[in-house]
Amino acid sequence: MPETTFLIQTLVSGVGTGFIYGLIGIGFCVIYNASGIVNFAQGVFVMLGGMITHALLTRAGLPLPLAALVAVVAVALIGVVIERAVVRPLWRRNATMFVMILATLAAQIVIERLTLLAAGDQPKTLPGFSDAAPLRIGGIAIGVQLLWIAGVSLLLVGALALFFARTRTGRAMRACAINREAAALMGIPVARMLGFSFALSAGLGAVAGILITPTQYTAFNVGVPFAISGFIAAILGGFGSALGAFAGGIMLGVAQALAIVLFGAGFKNVAALSILLLFLLARPAGLFGKAH
Amino acid sequence: MAPVLSVEGLSARYGSVEALHPADLALGHGELVAVLGPNGAGKSTLLRAIMGLTPGSGRVRFEGTELPRDDPRAVTMRGVVLVPEGRGIFGPMTVRENLDLGAYLLPGRGGEFAARLEQVFALFPRLKDRQSQLAGSLSGGEQQMLAIGRALMAAPRLLLLDEPSLGLAPRLAAEILETLGRLNRAGLAILLVEQRAPLALKLARRAYLLAVGRIVAEVTPDQIASPHDLARYYFAA
Ligand SMILES: Nc1ncnc2c1ncn2[C@@H]1O[C@H](COP(=O)(O)OP(=O)(O)OP(=O)(O)O)[C@@H](O)[C@H]1O
Ligand SMILES: [Mg+2]
Repeated sequence: MPETTFLIQTLVSGVGTGFIYGLIGIGFCVIYNASGIVNFAQGVFVMLGGMITHALLTRAGLPLPLAALVAVVAVALIGVVIERAVVRPLWRRNATMFVMILATLAAQIVIERLTLLAAGDQPKTLPGFSDAAPLRIGGIAIGVQLLWIAGVSLLLVGALALFFARTRTGRAMRACAINREAAALMGIPVARMLGFSFALSAGLGAVAGILITPTQYTAFNVGVPFAISGFIAAILGGFGSALGAFAGGIMLGVAQALAIVLFGAGFKNVAALSILLLFLLARPAGLFGKAH
Repeated sequence: MAPVLSVEGLSARYGSVEALHPADLALGHGELVAVLGPNGAGKSTLLRAIMGLTPGSGRVRFEGTELPRDDPRAVTMRGVVLVPEGRGIFGPMTVRENLDLGAYLLPGRGGEFAARLEQVFALFPRLKDRQSQLAGSLSGGEQQMLAIGRALMAAPRLLLLDEPSLGLAPRLAAEILETLGRLNRAGLAILLVEQRAPLALKLARRAYLLAVGRIVAEVTPDQIASPHDLARYYFAA
């Protein structure tokens, strides 16, 4: 039954991309929860993750694991810089959501253009993390990079869940999300938590970018499409729920993969936006939210 | 001896509206003082200005040193803790998580933390039974207990409360205020904002009356025998 195996194969690769969307979606949630801000510069972190790793690998000659690690830390720092330079001044002034979206979008474009100047417009790729042969189950081949994506994503989601549930800083960040003023009254440094949420979210984005690059390519302009997918994943998950965003990402990845095999590559975005509309209309609180 | 809290010429405005005209008040060691006033009098604004939540001008001194006017966190760190209007509990978090966050500045699972937790549970046994319940699913009275308990976890040396009886049935309101009385008798200085004057005057030795943004009088409970007495002061303003 080549038909069935093909379908399953498609689903598997959809889930893989979905994990990536999920990680990016969680990045949106982490910042939104700490501040009520929708950070449209999220895609930049994904792009920079792949690009910086590539540069460290090819220009500085670092081994891949080290290059990846340095890239994640560097992108987390860039996240903090964006927070300090762009977001915090506006946030202190209680800027509207609209202003915040515009400002982060502007930051996205600036960084994208700077990357173009620094690295050129040629797409780049990374080697797979390990070059073992794909895993074969029945007629289905699961690429090793996909296993890396799944493993690292699940590990990160678990670690994040523990962080928010158990650690002092994680709880303080949740408290800021629920009631900023009450959190400040407990002595929680609310502004520092915002900076921290940008670092965390940027780091997550970078990891997503590094994980996905070996299976496709990266370039200065891949940020926006990834950000849109992550944003949709977050909405499917009820915007704010990290687990919801992750599930939303998987759902989106699968829907896109199915649309491509059933209707052709041109339907990838149609599928994404249709599923978004469907949720906005029928289930605005997201997958796990209360139905309205 | 210097008073615990001394407020001099503290004023606050929202845009062009002066919600609090320069106000003076003082609170001695171990004192429980009430601030009474009708809706919109500026009671919450006064507490918020003391905490530095609402920008204001004037001076606020705590135990002799000046408190910053724009840094609520620093004020909390000094030991001045506010139970805000509307309670400000973290609804999607458990009772225990709320209490832990109350001790954010004094963390650690050490003996002191455990002792404070025991103290809170002794004052509000209902919280002990509901530690793993989500705070948002507590009854109104329990939420107020949690808000006060959470403030106590910060080991305050001055507790500011903004209408702790709001929205509670009379018996529950009396119970909560009685607990505040117990805390005060144990030595905690308390500034209590209330609209239910009779309840507050049972506990307080003095009260400031606030009307349209001004402190219009400072009274002792025996000067307020009936609601008429209060109304007289308010309308004189
Ligand atoms: N954020 C704000 N912006 C503009 N005006 C405000 C704001 N907060 C309060 N005010 C105004 O300041 C005045 C005092 O308000 P405040 O909340 O201090 O009164 P209150 O005595 O606490 O009243 P209540 O008993 O209803 O809580 C009111 O006229 C109110 O409308
Ligand atoms: Mg009030």
